[in-house]
Amino acid sequence: MNSKRFTLPVDEYLALEHVPFYIEDALSQLLEHKEEYTQFGIVRFFADYFNSVRNGNHILFREFSFVKATPHNRSSFLRAFWRCFRQIGKNGDLLTVMEYRSLLQLLCPDFPVELVQKAARIVLMDDAMDCLMSFPDFLYAFQIQFYYEEFFENIAVIYQDLLSGKSPNTVIVPTSFSAEQVTRPATSNTAAQEGVDSPLFCGCIEALCERYKYSHPPLSSIKEILCQVQRVSFYGFLMAIAKHEGINCDIGSLPSKADLLIDPEMDRELEKLIAQISVSPTSNSSSSTVGHKEPVRKASPRKSLHYRRRIDIESDGSNEETDSSEN
Amino acid sequence: MANTLQSAAGDSRSTKPDTDSEFLTQVGAGAVLRGALLKLLEVRSEDPIGFLADHFGNLAQSLENGDSGSAVEGDKKQHQQALQSPEEQNQHAGALWHLTQAHYSQRSAFNNNVAVAFSLLSRGGRKRKPGLKGRAYTELLRRVCRDGAVAEPVSAPLIRKLRCQDHEAVPFDLFRRAVLTCFVFADFVRKSRSLFETVSPSDGSLCRAVLGSLRDALETTGCSDPARYLEASAKLTPGRLAQAMDRAQTLASGTPSTLMGQEEFIEEASALFVSRVKRVS
Repeated sequence: MNSKRFTLPVDEYLALEHVPFYIEDALSQLLEHKEEYTQFGIVRFFADYFNSVRNGNHILFREFSFVKATPHNRSSFLRAFWRCFRQIGKNGDLLTVMEYRSLLQLLCPDFPVELVQKAARIVLMDDAMDCLMSFPDFLYAFQIQFYYEEFFENIAVIYQDLLSGKSPNTVIVPTSFSAEQVTRPATSNTAAQEGVDSPLFCGCIEALCERYKYSHPPLSSIKEILCQVQRVSFYGFLMAIAKHEGINCDIGSLPSKADLLIDPEMDRELEKLIAQISVSPTSNSSSSTVGHKEPVRKASPRKSLHYRRRIDIESDGSNEETDSSEN
Repeated sequence: MANTLQSAAGDSRSTKPDTDSEFLTQVGAGAVLRGALLKLLEVRSEDPIGFLADHFGNLAQSLENGDSGSAVEGDKKQHQQALQSPEEQNQHAGALWHLTQAHYSQRSAFNNNVAVAFSLLSRGGRKRKPGLKGRAYTELLRRVCRDGAVAEPVSAPLIRKLRCQDHEAVPFDLFRRAVLTCFVFADFVRKSRSLFETVSPSDGSLCRAVLGSLRDALETTGCSDPARYLEASAKLTPGRLAQAMDRAQTLASGTPSTLMGQEEFIEEASALFVSRVKRVS
């Protein structure tokens, strides 16, 4: 936020960080849980509420409409998802769309499957949608799909128009979000392989960003991506955005790929657990499903992050490990 | 802003008309939020959510501690035993927090915060009479300078001019002026540092030329004549400054160059500032 905030009118200043939205939500929460919150006084309630907003915990177990309501909510949710489930990445597990959706629903009970599927399409380049995906690949694709959802809907419209040969001089500023209904006609599959002219595409995106009120990736990063190729496909473009470190930093929820799986606290907890299991004499009891799992995880090499068909052995491993990380 | 509260109450009104709005009125939600928003709008914090979290946190803390005074004070735990230093430390910390909430360029917000800080420091404890004593006042000024990244040797001359006797009672007006001076001084030192970093790669004569121009401009100002301020600022235009630096370089071209260290530069610059400050009598 720059120093212009001192001269903004009241409404605009408050809207910068969505203060009225959070106040309304705080009051709704207060009314929904009257007895619970009035026990400690409403000032303490407001203090706890705004502290949790600041720390990014406020989105946990809330309804999807709240989670997607502000950029801060979205980035907090992404960060929470990463922190809760990064152990999956450490194990090298590959999961399906529905499995990732189940994990998301642990944090947000009504999280829609469509959004997860859109993210999967980016990872899988709109192909073989029942393939498995690694945690990092899914997470970065999911991040941009969720954070820039509206922007990508508009980009899809622009892309379709360019594919179908509409005049590039038309400034496209879509005002409705019926882009959800945009179906890709069968003939465009070949066209989609060839893509559209990058400079042209870039120009249209620039025109969109100039009058755009939702979040979008920084134009400099978009230009960086598009100037590298002459032609670009839609999912190629999205995949490049997902992998772009600058855009990841701009969103600010997730660390870089190199640091994604670092989780020293959990590592210490697991090492303690392993130490306990290995000295325990009753290693055949049912309580050592954990013990059974540990050697498997240690023995299996870190899987490389390719997409493979499900194999029985792996499916067993991944189920158990998914279960344990849900604990 | 009134709309925010109205619409928020209005939303709940549409579901269960009487009970919800009655409940909110009963618990005083409107008043609490109004106070917080007014404060936020005055300060125009860069991080509104963080500001609200701190504001409500401090308020809740002071209510939980059973303070009878104004509920906007940022006190931490109050010790029940009248241990003077921990209590004073808490008051200092609270007062400093208030003073740093708004930049001094936001005049009315800054002045309000100074008033709150003053009343916080003036509160009597179990063994203290109410009123701000010189010792606490001087210590606070030192803290302001220290927190503003001004080294002790640099701020010492200023503190010497502003300090009061340990047991003297400090009136509010003096407190406000002194605190403002310290904040401005901290900014001045910061700017001198960056000025030095810009000029210093060259030799010391340029640094001295810059300081000379600054001294010249400052000496031009007089208390009562606004036109003198215009005259002073005219002496500091980029063109005039460049001329001064050029002159210095020509003069120094024959003699070996003497480098000027950062401490020396800051010392001279801050001396210019401190010389303009009236000593507290």
